[in-house]
Amino acid sequence: MNARTPVGLLLAVLALSACQQRALLPASNAAPLLPPAVAYEAHEAAGGRVPPGGTLRNPHQGDPAVAANGALLFTTMNCDGCHGPDASGSVGPNLAVRRWRYGGADAEVYMSIFYGRPKGMPAFGGALGEEGVWTLVTYIRSLPKVDNLATESWEKP
Amino acid sequence: MRLTLVSVGIVFALMALGAGAGPAHGGTPVAAPTSDDGQWQMPARDYAASRYSGLADINSRNATGLHPVWTFSTGVLAGHEGQPLVVGDTMYVVTPWPNVLYAFDLTKEGYPLRWKYRPDVSSNAIGVSCCDTVNRGAFYADGRIIYNLLDGHTVAVDAKTGRELWKTQIADLGSGETVTMAPLVVKDRVIVGASGGEFGIYGWTKGLDLKTGAVVWTARNIGPDADMLVSPTGFRPPYDSGSDIGARGWPDDAWRTGGAPVWGWISYDPDLGLIYYGTGNAAPYNAEQRPGDNKWTASVLARRPEDGTLVWAYQFTPHDNWDFDATGAMVLADLVVSGKPTKALVHFDKNGFAYTLDRATGRLLVAEPFVAVNWAKSIDLKTGRPVIDPGKQTGLSHGTVKGICPSLEGGVSPSSPPAYSPRTHLFYTSTNNLCMDYSATHTTYLKGTPFMGINSPYVAGPGGYLGSFMAWDAATGKKVWENKEEFPNWSGALVTAGDVAFYGTLDGWFKSIDARTGKVLSRFKVGSGVVGNPITFRAPDGKQYVAVYAGIGGDWLLLAGDVRSDDPTDLRAPADYVKDIARHTSGGGMIWIFGL
Repeated sequence: MNARTPVGLLLAVLALSACQQRALLPASNAAPLLPPAVAYEAHEAAGGRVPPGGTLRNPHQGDPAVAANGALLFTTMNCDGCHGPDASGSVGPNLAVRRWRYGGADAEVYMSIFYGRPKGMPAFGGALGEEGVWTLVTYIRSLPKVDNLATESWEKP
Repeated sequence: MRLTLVSVGIVFALMALGAGAGPAHGGTPVAAPTSDDGQWQMPARDYAASRYSGLADINSRNATGLHPVWTFSTGVLAGHEGQPLVVGDTMYVVTPWPNVLYAFDLTKEGYPLRWKYRPDVSSNAIGVSCCDTVNRGAFYADGRIIYNLLDGHTVAVDAKTGRELWKTQIADLGSGETVTMAPLVVKDRVIVGASGGEFGIYGWTKGLDLKTGAVVWTARNIGPDADMLVSPTGFRPPYDSGSDIGARGWPDDAWRTGGAPVWGWISYDPDLGLIYYGTGNAAPYNAEQRPGDNKWTASVLARRPEDGTLVWAYQFTPHDNWDFDATGAMVLADLVVSGKPTKALVHFDKNGFAYTLDRATGRLLVAEPFVAVNWAKSIDLKTGRPVIDPGKQTGLSHGTVKGICPSLEGGVSPSSPPAYSPRTHLFYTSTNNLCMDYSATHTTYLKGTPFMGINSPYVAGPGGYLGSFMAWDAATGKKVWENKEEFPNWSGALVTAGDVAFYGTLDGWFKSIDARTGKVLSRFKVGSGVVGNPITFRAPDGKQYVAVYAGIGGDWLLLAGDVRSDDPTDLRAPADYVKDIARHTSGGGMIWIFGL
């Protein structure tokens, strides 16, 4: 078996975090923990009253080893097929430009991957489980900031 | 446009023509329209897919005076492939997702709408379409406008009232199937197919009942004979023999996720009783995961429209290493080949060769490169197989294979259909002059996600220009003339009895040219790059017009995403081989009509 199949990779991911064996996929019958509702920073609150929402904490926030695994997972789970190599955009949006339709905080990216989004982002929570999704979140949050693309000029400076 | 007594008379005459082709004849669907009746009732105007009109009021002497006379924004920004229909005194336009159908009243000044039909289409389809949310057009038959919705449905809409007559689910979004192709109606069958070669679909073609929309037959394009509707006695592929050819050329049951989508065009020969269509790439792109010929991907299939029976098949690119879909149009023309009158089928393939086949048998007559090609040296006419350059074979173990020509965008995009003039005996086609580096990676099938395994940056082909529009002699396999273009050329072609050909460029120039010499007669900068297909028609005012969509998109939306300005969260750097395209155009769907 090639080490880059999801099963092989996920075993590797799990070995890294053996204490969190909830995320077996996809054969596992273990129910993943359902994340709570997240209040989005980007949402405007009517009357200035912010609705209640839970919090989600990325257990691997900023961990470069987990981010490296996430990069592998990004290709193994075919994320690059839509978001392009290095998440630079293809069918799906550019994620490296750090602009976000549904929020760019760890918990917000987590929700996008776990449950999917309209316009064709599949829900990966069932296939990847909590641990797998956090691994991807850690990778996406680690992407190097791309050059400023806001201005594109054809004039000679 | 003011109505005169004369034009009212013409309106009635046209309406009578429309009725004759429609339901008045008790279920006889559309006959192939005559060559000069001024209508455009099916995607390529006729069953032969010729995109030729007998109208000649606009001709090579006066086309210099062409100018825009009318425009209309579709309100949609994605790539506007396909073409309008003109039936009687109404023009019909289908947009990309969300697949709105507009019906314009050509009898009134400003062409106001008679009605518009806005179907309920899932937005999930947007992310399941590999190459933009395009639609390649509708078909008029039996008083109905028939077309496909991106989310996997076919609809029939009453051509007079705009009311939905039936809606049938034909494809499964969850498996990566979307529908972008233009249907073909033959007698009481609506023939449709699915996109999804990038999602590992089990490619198919279906025949629906024209009256009810019910699925009558489903034929897989790959796999065992039973699934492919191969009869033990009736299937005669010219270069293959034996049973289950579509399953044997794969490891285990890899055909179940082998691709072979149908996202282009279908043509029909009423005398032979055969429909012809091309199948797309083999999945995944990493060819080492599927050793074998992978039949019948990248092939042309000839079937009986009534029950789907497969009669013959020919594979252009065995063991597709390069994403060489064969979904481009199959144009049926009666040519003199080597001194012999021949019922020919002509096809410009993504793989860079232009093929002339005997359409009764599928036997090869001519196969010559129409752009720079190096993955194969030639096509062996005896065996039907390409003579491969082993140095251009791809796959995981080959690492990055540099300088493969043409690129996987194709020598021509299958979305850019050619035209054929029986007056000049020439074919007219857009081309791309692109080569690529190809790095295959291992990929695993995960239902509903891309099944690809590739990275393939492009470079300009020899000569430095990126595309062209050319005239081709399919009887001899020779280029007659070529207009080089700065950018890859992505529009379809139109040619008329006035010996004028028409095309648009990716940077938004719409051109009329002399069909015999290629000389540009007129050009106008439309609002966005042209990836649609021009048509011509006679309006109720008695005058000939030419219509075309502007609206850059299709693969180009993905590869040069900096032409988009509609999503502030999704900025893209320019594609490095086509850095300047966003300087000249941005997204925006518009119908343009030109007249004298």
